[in-house]
Amino acid sequence: MAKNPKKTPDLDDPSLYINRELSWLEFNHRVLAEGLSPELPLLERLKFLAIVSSNLDEFFLIRVAGLMQLRAAGSAKRDASGLTAREQIDAIGVRAHAMVARQTEGIAEALGLLAEQGLVVLGPADWTASQGEFLAAHFREEILPILTPLAVDDLDPMPLLPGMRLNVALVLAGARPDDDPGIVVVPVPGQLARFITVPGAEATHLARLEDVIATHAGQLFPAGNVLAAATFRVTRDADVAIDDDAGDLLEAVEEAIQARRRRHAVRLEVSADPHPHLRGWLLATLDLAEADVYEISGMLDAAALMELANRQGHEDLKYIEWPPQPPRDLIGSEDLFQTIRTQDVLLSHPYESFDPVVQLVEGAAQDPNVLAIKQTLYRTSGDSPIVQALQDAAEAGKQVTALVELKARFDESRNVTWARRLEDAGCHVIYGVAGFKTHAKALLIVRREAGVIRRYVHLATGNYNDKTARLYCDIGLMTADADLTLDVANFFNLVTGSTEGAEYAKLAIAPTGLRRRFHELIEREIEVSTPEQPGLIVAKVNSLEDADICEALYRASQAGVRIRLNVRGICCLRPGVKGVSKNIEVRSIVDRFLEHARVFYFRNGGREELYFSSADWMGRNLDKRLELMFPILDSRLRRRVVGWLDMYFADNLKAKRLLKDGSYEPVQAPGKAVRAQLELYQEAGEAARAAERTAMRFRPLAGPES
Amino acid sequence: MSTTDQHDHSTHPGGVIAAIDIGTNSIRMAIAQVLPDGRMEVLEQLRRAARLGQDTFGQGRLDEEAMRAAVAILRDYRRQLDLYEVCGIRAVATSAIREARNADMFIDRVFMATGFDVEVIDTAEESRLKVYAVRHRAGSRVKLSRFRTLVGEVGGGSTELTILSKGHIVASQSLPLGSIRLQEMLVTAHETPERSAEMLAQHVDNALTSAGASLKLGKIKKFVAIGGDVRFAAEQVGQPTDETDLVTLDRDRLDELVDRCHHHTPEDLINRFGLNFADAETLVPALLVYQALMHATGVKEMIVSPVTMRDGLLLDLALRVTGQEDETLAVGVMHSAETIAEKYGVETKHAANVGRLALRLFDQLQAEHGLGRRQRLLLQAAATLHEVGRFIHTRAHHKHGYYIIANTEIFGLSREEREIVALVARYHRRSCPKNSHVEYTALPRPMRMVVCKLAALLRLADALDRGHAQQVRELTCHPGDGELIIRVEGVADLTLERRGLDTKGDLFADIFGLKARLEEAPASLGDQRRAEPVQ
Repeated sequence: MAKNPKKTPDLDDPSLYINRELSWLEFNHRVLAEGLSPELPLLERLKFLAIVSSNLDEFFLIRVAGLMQLRAAGSAKRDASGLTAREQIDAIGVRAHAMVARQTEGIAEALGLLAEQGLVVLGPADWTASQGEFLAAHFREEILPILTPLAVDDLDPMPLLPGMRLNVALVLAGARPDDDPGIVVVPVPGQLARFITVPGAEATHLARLEDVIATHAGQLFPAGNVLAAATFRVTRDADVAIDDDAGDLLEAVEEAIQARRRRHAVRLEVSADPHPHLRGWLLATLDLAEADVYEISGMLDAAALMELANRQGHEDLKYIEWPPQPPRDLIGSEDLFQTIRTQDVLLSHPYESFDPVVQLVEGAAQDPNVLAIKQTLYRTSGDSPIVQALQDAAEAGKQVTALVELKARFDESRNVTWARRLEDAGCHVIYGVAGFKTHAKALLIVRREAGVIRRYVHLATGNYNDKTARLYCDIGLMTADADLTLDVANFFNLVTGSTEGAEYAKLAIAPTGLRRRFHELIEREIEVSTPEQPGLIVAKVNSLEDADICEALYRASQAGVRIRLNVRGICCLRPGVKGVSKNIEVRSIVDRFLEHARVFYFRNGGREELYFSSADWMGRNLDKRLELMFPILDSRLRRRVVGWLDMYFADNLKAKRLLKDGSYEPVQAPGKAVRAQLELYQEAGEAARAAERTAMRFRPLAGPES
Repeated sequence: MSTTDQHDHSTHPGGVIAAIDIGTNSIRMAIAQVLPDGRMEVLEQLRRAARLGQDTFGQGRLDEEAMRAAVAILRDYRRQLDLYEVCGIRAVATSAIREARNADMFIDRVFMATGFDVEVIDTAEESRLKVYAVRHRAGSRVKLSRFRTLVGEVGGGSTELTILSKGHIVASQSLPLGSIRLQEMLVTAHETPERSAEMLAQHVDNALTSAGASLKLGKIKKFVAIGGDVRFAAEQVGQPTDETDLVTLDRDRLDELVDRCHHHTPEDLINRFGLNFADAETLVPALLVYQALMHATGVKEMIVSPVTMRDGLLLDLALRVTGQEDETLAVGVMHSAETIAEKYGVETKHAANVGRLALRLFDQLQAEHGLGRRQRLLLQAAATLHEVGRFIHTRAHHKHGYYIIANTEIFGLSREEREIVALVARYHRRSCPKNSHVEYTALPRPMRMVVCKLAALLRLADALDRGHAQQVRELTCHPGDGELIIRVEGVADLTLERRGLDTKGDLFADIFGLKARLEEAPASLGDQRRAEPVQ
C-alpha cells in the first residue's frame, strides 16, 4: 500500500481513534443521562440508574481487570488511540469516579421523589421505634441464622473476600485500650431481598438489608464495642478466565502472569468515610491503590434498585405499555409456511411480536411433514417455549440439531441443564464450535411438501429469547429463498462438522469471510462514488471498535462517500476530522428499548444493497466468533428498513451526536420533536391496521352454516 | 449403476438425489432434488478432508487409518441422506482409489457400512461428466460446438485435459501435474521463492510440451477452466459475463494475480483472502498450471465455469429420475466411437450399414431381448467398431478388435460398458462366447447375457452385409414358430447373405431359440424403401 504523496494524514494515526474504554464510559454516561432525566417516569429512571451499576460491574470485571493484567505485566503496548494500559486505567479512573458520584446524587434525588409518591426507602436514622423493633425481630428470625461473620484478623492466612458481594464490616475496639481495633466482615446474604418491607405505615416503607445487618450485627459481639460499621464490595478479575471480551487485551500477557493475577482485586467500593483503620486494612489486604477506591455516600451495589423498579404496582411510575403489534407481513396469513413461500417476511422486534418465531418452531415440531429443525441457541433461557418445541420435535422423531452456546457469559450453569434435557429427547446438541463462540442466529426447517423438499429459514440480529425480544430492538427475516436456504443448510453442516467448508451464494460468515465482505462492500462504494452521485453507507451497530473497518470508512469518507452511523455503544471512529472523516456522522440512541439490530446499507450507485447481521464492527465479532450476515433481497422490505434507518437520524429527542473530541451532545434539530422508538412503534401499529384492512377486504365470506 | 439398470423411474414425479465423489484429498457430497417441473435444486453440499491420495500415490495402497476415516465420513453422509427419501445415489471414486491395490477391500467396507455402491470411474468418464456439466451451464457464451475447446481442471493429484471438437469429446488426458504434487516439489527444493517458482514453471512447461503435441493444444480456440483454484482467481480478477455463472479471466490479469500471490506466504493468503490453509498452500502451483495452459494454447482468456464433476453426476441422476434421456450423451458416445473407427481405418460404409441393420433387429425384437436404450447404444458402438482389429491383421481381427476397444477411451461409456462393447465386437465372428474365454467369464452373469444378446444381433446384421456392398439396407423381422423370418426388399441375389446367416445365425439360435431365415419381400415396398438415403 503506497503512501499517498499528498498531505493526507496517516489513517492509523492514534489521534484518529477514540479509546475503546473511554468510549464505553461515554455510552454508560448516556445511560446515566436517562436515569437523571426528569422526563422519564421515576421507576424507569431508577432502572437506568441500576443499569449504570451493572454495566460498570461488568466493565471492571472484564475490561479494567484485563488492563490491570497488562499493566502488571509491564506492557508498553499502545492501543489504536495511542494509550498504554496504565494511561487507560488512569483515564478510566477519573471518568468513573465522576460518573459514580453523579449516579449517587441521581439515586438520592430519585429516591427522594419516589418517597413523595409513597415508595419510601428508609435509612436507619429514619426508623421509628416500632419499625426498629420490627427490624430487630426480623434480623433475629430471618437474617441471623444465615449470617457467617468472619473475624478476619484472627485468621491466617486471610480468607479471600469474595468478589461482587456486598459486605458489612464492623470495626471492634481492641481488648485493651492500646490494642489495634479488630475487624469483622459479615457478608450480606445474596439470597435475601435487598429491600425489606416494613409494616405499619400508609406508604410503602422499605429498609435496606445491609442497614439492618450493620445495626444489629453488634449483638454478635460482647459488650457493644463496635466502633464503626461500613459496607463494602470488592470487584475481582473475573474468573471467566480469558473470556473473548478481553481477549484483545490479553493475547500479549503471559499465562503465568494471568494465573497469578486471576482473582486479583481491581476495585473497592465502600460506604463514605469509613473508619480509617478499616480503610487502611482493606487497601492493604486487597493490594489496591487510592484511585481504585470508590467511596459512595449512598447505596452500594445500586444494581439492586432493579428490585424496586420491577415491583408490582406503581404503574403510573413506569412507561406506558407498548404491546407488540402483530407483524404486518403476517396479517391474514393462515399458514406460516405458505406465506413465507410466497414472500419474505420481515419482523421488527419489539415493535412487532416475536410470537411468530415461536409459532414457527412450535408449528414445525407438531407438523408431520417437517423432517428436520436446526437452530442456534445463544443466551436462550431453559423455560423458553422454543427449547420446549425442539424437545417435542425430537421426541416426535424429527431430526433436531441445536447448536447451544454455553460460553454466553454468566449463564453457563443454567444452560447445561436444559441442553441435557434436549439431548435426552434425542436432539443432536452441539456445545459450540471449538475456538469460536457461536453468535449467529439461524433457524432452518426442512419440510416435505407433496414429495418436494422445501426449506424455510429464519435469520436474525437477536437471540432466540422470547423475553429479551420484548426489550431489544432486533430484526428478523423469514425466507424460503433457494440460495439462502442452501447457504444456511451448509452453515449448519459446517458447525456440526459435517462439512469443512462451503461456498456461500449470499451469506457472509465470520470468521472466514465477513471481514473481507465488509471491505469489499466499502471498497465498492468508494469505486462507484462520483461527485455527481456520491456513495452512501448507512450502518447501525452496537459497537464500532475495529480499526480496520474505521480505516476503510475513513478512506470512503475521503473519497466523498457519505457515511451515517448509528452506533449505540462504543465508537472508536472519530468523526468530523478534516481530510479524514468530514463525511462521517455518528449518532447514538439510548431509549426504553435496547438498540441491538445490526443493519448495513450501501447505495451501490443506485442498485441498493441492505444486509442484517449478528455481528458488530468489533474485532471479536469479525475474527473470534461465528457470525452471519445476510442480504434483504425483497426491494419492498429494503425500502421499509431504509425508512427505519432514516428515522434513527430524524430522532431529536433521544439521539446524541458524537463530536470530534469523543463526547456526545444532544441532536438539536428544528421542527417537531421526533423520538425514533415511538415513531417506529406507531408505524408498526399503523402498518398492522392497514394490513388488516387489506386482508379483510380479500377474505372470502364463509357460507351460512346449515 | 449396472448396465442392466433400466430407466425404471420414468413415472417418478421428482425426488432427492445425491452425488458422492471420493477424491484425492476430500470426500464430497452434493444432495439435490429434481422438482416436478424437471428443474434441479441443490439442497446441501458437503466436503470433508480425507487424504486418500497420499497413500495411494506414495505406497500404491490405501492405509488403514485413511480408510477408516473415509468410512466414518461416508457413514456420516449416509446419516445426512437418511433425512430425505433418496431415490438415486451415485458414488464414484477417482484416481486415489483407482490406483490403489486394495481398492476392492475399501469399496466393500464402504458398502457394508453405508450401502453406497462405489463405482470407480476412469478419466474418460470424469471428462464426460465435467463436460456434460459445463455444457449444461454453458449458455451461448462458450459455443462448444463451434470451436475446438479445451476443458481443463487442475486437481490435487493431476491435471485433467479434455479436448472437444464440434462439441464432442475427441481426446482426454491426465497429466501428473497436481497442485499438491507440485507444492511438495516446491517444499523439498529448498530454493529461494523466485528460483523455485522458475523451476516449477519449467517443470509444468515440460509436461505440457509433450502432452501439447498429442492434444494439439495449439489449435485450441476456447479454454474452459474448472476447479476450485481457478474459481478463486476468477473471483479476484475475473470479469463477469452476461451468463450468470461464467466469468472470463484474461491472461494479463491472471499473470498479475500469480505474481502477486507469489510474494505472499500461505499465511498472508489466508489472512488476505480468507482461504483455508490447504487451499492457500496449493493455490500458486495450481494457478501456474492454468497459466501455462493459457500460454500453451495461446488463448487470450479463459472461461471459468463453476461446475464440478458432481454437477455432472447430479445431471445424470436427474435424468434417470425423470426418465429422460440425454440425447447428447448417445451422440457423444457415437461420435467418440466413429473417431476411433476412423483412426483405425475402418471401412465406414460397411460399419454404418451393419449398425443400421443391427438397430433394426434390436428395435423389432424388443419383446425377445428385453434390453433398454443404453444397451442399444452399446450395440451401435460395437457395430461401428467391430472391424477395428483389421488395423492390426485381418486374421483373428476380432481378437485384435477386442483388445483395441477394451483399451481405448470411449467418452460417455463406463469401463464396464466399454468391456461389453469390446466383447460384442469380438463375438461378431468366429467363436461364440465360451466359458474358457477369460474376459467373458470375468463379467457378472447379467452382463454376460447382454453380451450374448447383442453379439447375436450383431452377427445377424454382419451376415446381412456379407458382401460389404450394402445390398441389404432395410429389413423387417417376423419371429414365428422356432423361426425368425427376416424380409428384405428388392435384392436380386441373397445367396451370400443366406450363407452368412447359416454360419453366423448360430448364437442367435442358441440365445433366442429361433433360426433366422431370409425372405425376399414384395418389390413394391422395397423400391420405396431403397430410395431412402443411407445414414
